[in-house]
Amino acid sequence: MKRRKFLVSFAMTLTFTGLTVCSANAQQTSKHGNAIALTGLPGVKDNAKGTLTVESGKLHFSYAKKSSDLNVADIEDVVTGEDTQASVGKTVSNLSMAAPYGSGRFLALFRSKFDTLTLRYRDDNGALHGVIFALPAGGAGPIKKDLLAQGAHTAVVEERAAVSTAPANSSSKEQKQ
Amino acid sequence: MKRYSNAILCLAVVAVAFAASPLSAQPVKAKASAIQVEMILSDEIKLPAEFQISLYENLVRQLEKQGGFEHVYRDGDRRAADAADLVVLHSTVRGFKQGSERARRVTTVAGATSITIHCEFKSPDGKVLLEKDVNGKVRFFGGNLRATYDFAKKTARVAHDNFSSSEHKS
Repeated sequence: MKRRKFLVSFAMTLTFTGLTVCSANAQQTSKHGNAIALTGLPGVKDNAKGTLTVESGKLHFSYAKKSSDLNVADIEDVVTGEDTQASVGKTVSNLSMAAPYGSGRFLALFRSKFDTLTLRYRDDNGALHGVIFALPAGGAGPIKKDLLAQGAHTAVVEERAAVSTAPANSSSKEQKQ
Repeated sequence: MKRYSNAILCLAVVAVAFAASPLSAQPVKAKASAIQVEMILSDEIKLPAEFQISLYENLVRQLEKQGGFEHVYRDGDRRAADAADLVVLHSTVRGFKQGSERARRVTTVAGATSITIHCEFKSPDGKVLLEKDVNGKVRFFGGNLRATYDFAKKTARVAHDNFSSSEHKS
């Protein structure tokens, strides 16, 4: 009897997980430019979901009928990174903790990758600010490329350029991300 | 009867002494009406860029919220040059262990993320007023970046306990 109960709950968890993972993956690849402002964007709440675009020298983040702009020329550093997040949402994740035999922890194994885009810029007073965006996997690269093309700086390229030109100036390999 | 009253009197004296001692032991807060937060340095230990920025932004935010300063200036802010009673906060990463949210969720005992940062509160002329190692951790719930929030809260508490915009005993 106990075993049947366990099997039923396990099967239910598995089915539910499959459905949520599928929907999460579908959401992630649906729209290019979708982003979450994790922290640091002035006038924007942490974890605000919106769209991120680079046009006419400005980084434009629009969310919930509001928007926030940054001058690309003010950006001192652009760094991309990778991270993972739970495929299931917070509510489902918390509810699953009540599942019998700790089977809810099974959901924690399902995680999806996402990119991070970290920016540093200075305002009119020279004060340093930092902004972190989360983007769908593979989404940070194109944005970084656009930012660099429109006048933003990055320490990574400068460091690599210094390394490649320093030894005897023989090779003019300038690696760009 | 007299013996009892003497014992009670002794007890009362001891109780009063104990009650009074914490007040006299509380440190005098140094006067500081403004603080400037320098960018977190991580020369010896390689820290991911998002951690560095998250530490800095959370630190600024928590100092604004609960630091007790009239002004919180960021790194490079030119207005800080004119600020009276300014304290400059220098932070250097001394230890970093990036855990795993997945391991935390599955095992509840493994996968903790922790950051140790050496904080120096200095006067504008470079004199060290206070230095302390502050630790940020995330053990159970939340992403790895939550450790930066924990660090920021603890540092703001240290600032609040040691500095005040008006010189007084708390």
